[in-house]
Amino acid sequence: MQPQPTLLSSCARATTAAETRYRISCPEFTRRDSRVIALDEQAADIVRQLAGQPWSGGHFLVFESALPDDALLRPAVGGTALLSEELDGADAVVMVATAQASAEAASIIGNACAARSIMSAGLVVPGVGSVGQVVSALRPNAMVLVVLQDAGDVPELLSALRV
Amino acid sequence: MLKQEINELLTQTGPGTPMGALFRQYWMPALLADELPENDCPPVRVKLLSERLIAFRDTEGRYGLMDEFCAHRGVSLWFGRNEESGLRCTYHGWKYDVTGQCVEIPSEPDERHSSLCEKIKLTSYPLVKIGDVLWTYMGDPQATPDLPQWEFARVPAEQSYASKRWQECNWLQALEGGIDSSHVSWLHSGGLKSDPLFKGARGNTYNLADRKPFFEVAEADGGLFIGVRRNAEEGHYYWRITPWVMPAFTMIPPRGDHPIHGHFWIPIDDENCWVFSYDYHPVRPLSSEERQAMKDGHGVHNEYVPGTYRPLQNKDNDYLMDREAQKRGVTYSGVKGIAMQDASLQESMGPIVDRTKERLVSTDGGIIMARRKLWRAVEALRDEGVRPPGVDVAHQMVRSAAVVLPKDQSFVEGCGDALRVRPGEKHASV
Repeated sequence: MQPQPTLLSSCARATTAAETRYRISCPEFTRRDSRVIALDEQAADIVRQLAGQPWSGGHFLVFESALPDDALLRPAVGGTALLSEELDGADAVVMVATAQASAEAASIIGNACAARSIMSAGLVVPGVGSVGQVVSALRPNAMVLVVLQDAGDVPELLSALRV
Repeated sequence: MLKQEINELLTQTGPGTPMGALFRQYWMPALLADELPENDCPPVRVKLLSERLIAFRDTEGRYGLMDEFCAHRGVSLWFGRNEESGLRCTYHGWKYDVTGQCVEIPSEPDERHSSLCEKIKLTSYPLVKIGDVLWTYMGDPQATPDLPQWEFARVPAEQSYASKRWQECNWLQALEGGIDSSHVSWLHSGGLKSDPLFKGARGNTYNLADRKPFFEVAEADGGLFIGVRRNAEEGHYYWRITPWVMPAFTMIPPRGDHPIHGHFWIPIDDENCWVFSYDYHPVRPLSSEERQAMKDGHGVHNEYVPGTYRPLQNKDNDYLMDREAQKRGVTYSGVKGIAMQDASLQESMGPIVDRTKERLVSTDGGIIMARRKLWRAVEALRDEGVRPPGVDVAHQMVRSAAVVLPKDQSFVEGCGDALRVRPGEKHASV
């Protein structure tokens, strides 16, 4: 094997700490438009609390009821909204659920995301009862499903996803 | 995305750092046993958690790991003479036993000799051989945990193989590669078809056919189980389940009857880590072909610059990038070998990646949760003295699994005992 010279573009130089100074540093890419939707009342309490914190433009909503080919949502800031309207322009949806969540809500939102190729995630937080059913309901509809032992992890997960 | 202060919290492991304190709660791999092959063999320099150490094996076969430098004038004991139950500095003849205790200062008068020796003891850590690995514990001696029980280290010697390589980046970005299963269908797609330690398994066809896996993360006592599902036959999913045990152990889901493999990611300093890689089969000896393939650098192992633990493909030779192989699809990235495909990309991120700038997506759920659990454990240890997950040997009794389950079944329930060590029973694999 012939030794190779270290050139300006070689990995040996490009991977140094010194070279990290020259990485392009733009303040932020295009903002991610996220929707955080609680699927049940217990999860709604968590989502409403989170809505009061500073986020990068994410909308915080609560699933209210199914409609023909749509769903009615309650934004944490008040009023009502249609799922179809909220998903217009959204590029990530995070469903927050406890054991009380209905499979119907997960299915409606998950299918709507899949139809629009929107990244979807499900966070199952501890509460009263077994989470087995809600996990099964979310599984086909969430690209990632995280079963948490501590609801305090929800804000960190949302922050990591730049909600 | 991580805030800068959290990135620093998790990536800095030197003395006095919170993450360094967390690592010092565990027994961790320090060297391969082969590095100290016989009594009175040459000592070996070791850097762990930003501490310069020297390892040696004395005349009685006892292992020692201690401060690399002589207490007298700061000379490196790597130049020492390993003889008559101690390591002697070649500058003035000071000699230390495996506990770091000074036992001889030849220049001192006999009447002062023993009292002076008693006052001189180098910092030292226990070094214990279990399996093919020498393990150390760098924490409070009063809180020494039980010896490690990892299955790969406890099966008979003919059933396991271990190697190590130097990776030139921070430990955390290397670890994160170990729990990020979504890259397998891309970066390692060539290896699934050709690597002798991977190819031929039925599971590979699911891997290659479905490049948009879904993820499920379940918390475990010692860390996480990260399940990745892909479509299988009608009504079924193919699940690959990776256990991560805090802080630095991962086990790759198996393929067919191939041995199971995985890694320990151990900080050397904040810009370098050791990757200890193991292969084992729970119920049968490794075949001579398998063992040879491991020595040849297949599977999770790698080839070396002769006489070193530096990979043959490294940043100084641009990882022997083969653009023709990339074009032909022999390898997806152009870098040969699964281990170096990972290492080359992880090193390309820089010594410590700036996580404030990353753009995580839903399939990064395992990485996000692992960081969160590390962060929580670091704070609990620092603020309340809480012993972190993974120290308890019960947390170490885990296995990875690769299974096909009905669509309505959770991987935790569907796998049941398959995610736990069952001595004498085969691993769950398709």
